Amino acid sequence: MSNFLQYTVFGIMLGSGYAIAATGLVVTYTTSGVFNFAQGAVGMIAAFGYWELVTAHHVPVLVALVIILILGASIAGAFVERVLMRRLHGASAERPVMVTLGLMVILTGLAAIIWSPSTQRTVGYMINGQFRLVGINIEYQYVLIIGVAIAVAIGLRALFYGTRTGYALRAVVDDPELVAMSGASPNRMSQYGWILGFMMAALAGVLLASTQTTGLNIEAMTLLVVSGYAAAIVGRLKNIAVTFIAAVGIGLLENYVVNYLLPHLPQSFVPDVTVALPMVFLFIALVMLPSVRLRAVGRLTTMRAPRVPSGTESLVAGAVFFVVAVAAALAFDNTEFKGTTVLTLGGVVMTLGIVGLSLILVTGYSGQVSLCQFSFMGIGAFVMGKVAGGGSLLGLVAATAVCAAVGALIALPTIRLRDLYLALATFAFADAVANGFFTDTHIYGSGGVNIGRIVLPGLSFGGDAAEFLMVSVFFVLAAWMVLAIRRSLFGRRLVALNDSPAAYATVGLNIGFTKVAVFAIAAGMAGLAGALYGTVQQTVGTSDFDIFPGIIFVLFVTIWSIRTVSGAFLAALTYVVLNQLWPSGLGLFAGIGIILIGRAAGGILGIEAFQFHLPWVKQGAVEICEKSAASIGSAAIIGSGTRAAG
Amino acid sequence: MLPAEEAAATAALTVSEVGVHFGGVAALTDVSLRVLPGTVTGLIGPNGAGKTTLFNVISGLQSPDRGSVHLFDNDVTTMKPHRRARLGLARTFQRLELFGSLTAGENVQVGLESAVKWWEWRRLGRSFPRKRRAALPDDAGVGDRESGGPGSVAVATSDRLLEGVGLAGLGRQQASAMSTGLARMVELARALAIAPKLLLLDEPGSGLDEAESQALADLLVRLAAGGMAVLLVEHDMELVMGICDYIYVLDFGDIIAAGTPEEIRSDPMVQAAYLGVMPEGGTLVGHGVPGREAVRAGEAELQRIAAASGRDGPPGGAPGFEPGGGR
Repeated sequence: MSNFLQYTVFGIMLGSGYAIAATGLVVTYTTSGVFNFAQGAVGMIAAFGYWELVTAHHVPVLVALVIILILGASIAGAFVERVLMRRLHGASAERPVMVTLGLMVILTGLAAIIWSPSTQRTVGYMINGQFRLVGINIEYQYVLIIGVAIAVAIGLRALFYGTRTGYALRAVVDDPELVAMSGASPNRMSQYGWILGFMMAALAGVLLASTQTTGLNIEAMTLLVVSGYAAAIVGRLKNIAVTFIAAVGIGLLENYVVNYLLPHLPQSFVPDVTVALPMVFLFIALVMLPSVRLRAVGRLTTMRAPRVPSGTESLVAGAVFFVVAVAAALAFDNTEFKGTTVLTLGGVVMTLGIVGLSLILVTGYSGQVSLCQFSFMGIGAFVMGKVAGGGSLLGLVAATAVCAAVGALIALPTIRLRDLYLALATFAFADAVANGFFTDTHIYGSGGVNIGRIVLPGLSFGGDAAEFLMVSVFFVLAAWMVLAIRRSLFGRRLVALNDSPAAYATVGLNIGFTKVAVFAIAAGMAGLAGALYGTVQQTVGTSDFDIFPGIIFVLFVTIWSIRTVSGAFLAALTYVVLNQLWPSGLGLFAGIGIILIGRAAGGILGIEAFQFHLPWVKQGAVEICEKSAASIGSAAIIGSGTRAAG
Repeated sequence: MLPAEEAAATAALTVSEVGVHFGGVAALTDVSLRVLPGTVTGLIGPNGAGKTTLFNVISGLQSPDRGSVHLFDNDVTTMKPHRRARLGLARTFQRLELFGSLTAGENVQVGLESAVKWWEWRRLGRSFPRKRRAALPDDAGVGDRESGGPGSVAVATSDRLLEGVGLAGLGRQQASAMSTGLARMVELARALAIAPKLLLLDEPGSGLDEAESQALADLLVRLAAGGMAVLLVEHDMELVMGICDYIYVLDFGDIIAAGTPEEIRSDPMVQAAYLGVMPEGGTLVGHGVPGREAVRAGEAELQRIAAASGRDGPPGGAPGFEPGGGR
């Protein structure tokens, strides 16, 4: 009984920490409509900052809290809203998600530069000592965390429902113009929301830092709030009270599972189950959510759609690309760059290029954000290595099929919901796979998975040049397929779904099926890319498919252009080159890049100054001619006197 | 005259006592209406009366708190929007919901191809079902004229649908770059592309000049003459009074009047709702009991219209009706 009470108190304390972070997410989302993926990273920076001040420089705790919470977090929150988020008004729906992810990788990158991961840092309790109650010892620190969480929840509830500012804060997302007419500044309300959200994140980070008994870890602290995501989702990203209760419930459940269930499982499963728990909670939360009703929002995509090459143009471009690849294979055979052969790096570029192409389908065309394409790569490589002894065509097929099936399973719980929830599900999946599946030596092997090169009767891809050319062919075929899909009925449906889900449904098309189908196809492509990556590297390691590199690569593709084949290829090329030159700077490049791109939906390649057009290529599909209908023919019933589109 | 039961069976749309609340606000209160095949039915009312909410309930974008919606003999109250569309319901939107990244022609193509199932993979990118093609309204510009190989059928048909709504030659323009009036016609062409039996139009005349409105009126009358049921929300009273066979008036979420254009024009409740004049002995808001009585009284007239739905052209205009631009 005393054990049960002990676990319960610890679970409530843990859940209270989640609750603070989760309510911060809700506050930001309620006031700005943006889900802040950097919430965990802000908490992580606050935790390391607290360690720096209190442990390293012996600053009094209260002074450190004032510096971190009142000065640091509030100024940072105001800065992020003003400089990063405000200019995204009117941008495509996935862009704020990308920018907060960019902020996350910038913060984790900076943290890795400032606080070397090789040094162990532990944070002590703010209040030492314990007291005894109903037969158990309770730390004062636990009481502090629980008390702070309750105070925060009550304070936020009072602010949102008891003050004029609170009403404006809640109304600003629904109708900023109406808020402005009532005398409040929508921008200021949104800024208050970001300040409060950052302060909640920092508070959660500082309080939970002391529970990290093995020391502060940048990645672990950043991902600590994934459990908070589940709570925020149960609260439907708007209800603070429900979010708080859900967070405490998750903390309790997590602690009970760890203490009661795990001891009965084989020890090899313990790390996997522990890591997978937040994802399990998140999926349960997603399944529990009621369907979100479709809304006719009247949003009209205003971006200039990239021209889609015709079938003939695609074939010609593919052939030219392959000729260039052959020339590169001849020119760079046995050449090394930073300790790796250029052709091996080239092979990696091609495989990552295929991942980029999968992102064009799922994000560029259909508007859904997937943050787990690297996870599918890892699963694909694993399947490739395990089928027919590795290095077989059957392995390629199996990797594609397995990943497509897993992708469909991940997408299924979220098809009733907004696209944000798919991004959250993929984030949680990437976290669980990276830290559970890939790092489990019983599954993935301590030295990774051996895959080897593909050998066909009479044909061997053992040499780097042959391997490079083989994956180049796969890239060309994948690019041709993506463009063929875009030109097809299915491609039109993907773009239509992205532009207006309400109209999509009312012409008789099934939103759920299309979402699952495109996600499964993209997952299959990423699985194929992973299998090919395995044949290029011959052995894949446990850290090849981490969550952060996967997110950074998504940002690279978005920066270049997530709607064009060129964007996917250039993203892969720059990612691989920079990774060779300065691996720890990748996150900074990606984060700063996505911030600079801002709301430009077409990325770098969409900027007019960077575009060039071959003189013989017709521009028909993207021509925006301003001919009045009256000049077209007598059948026109609508003339030029109509209002301009908003 | 048809018996009431027979009329109910032939109605394209039957909305029965539908209620919708947003928090404490009643958006719709016990709304009932019927739309018959081969007629244009008007739904008018001041801004905020609940017209778009009712359209959302009918098309499945909004679940009602109570009441039911029937499309022909099918209870679609809890049915998803895409399934309702497959039963023959199409709509346009008050605030444009175009596929802005696609061209006008592709917008229509998405509608044309919506009947292609995933297992008909060989059709992907090539064509759309012959059945759907045959069901398209001739008066929208699509007849038996399609020619060329299977790859060109969808494009050719979308061109003809655009031509039918007056957008000949504009199929390659990106939809988001079009003016509001043109974009509304693209929405209309896209709705017609699914060969609807019931067409919901939410302020299609918004942003059109007089000549354009007249052309739109001609088109709607031709569609109705071909057997289509049209439910029209519109603030242009001349258009509504000119082409509608029957009109419902919605105010504060309640049907306050129903009848022929002549009856609506002279209805004191309608004048009160539009001009803010209290009818003698009447009540303005919230209750609407006199209005519901009028609806019931109008059932006989509705059935008469059903029996005489074949007509030569649009009825005359509505001189003298000046709604006053709402409250």
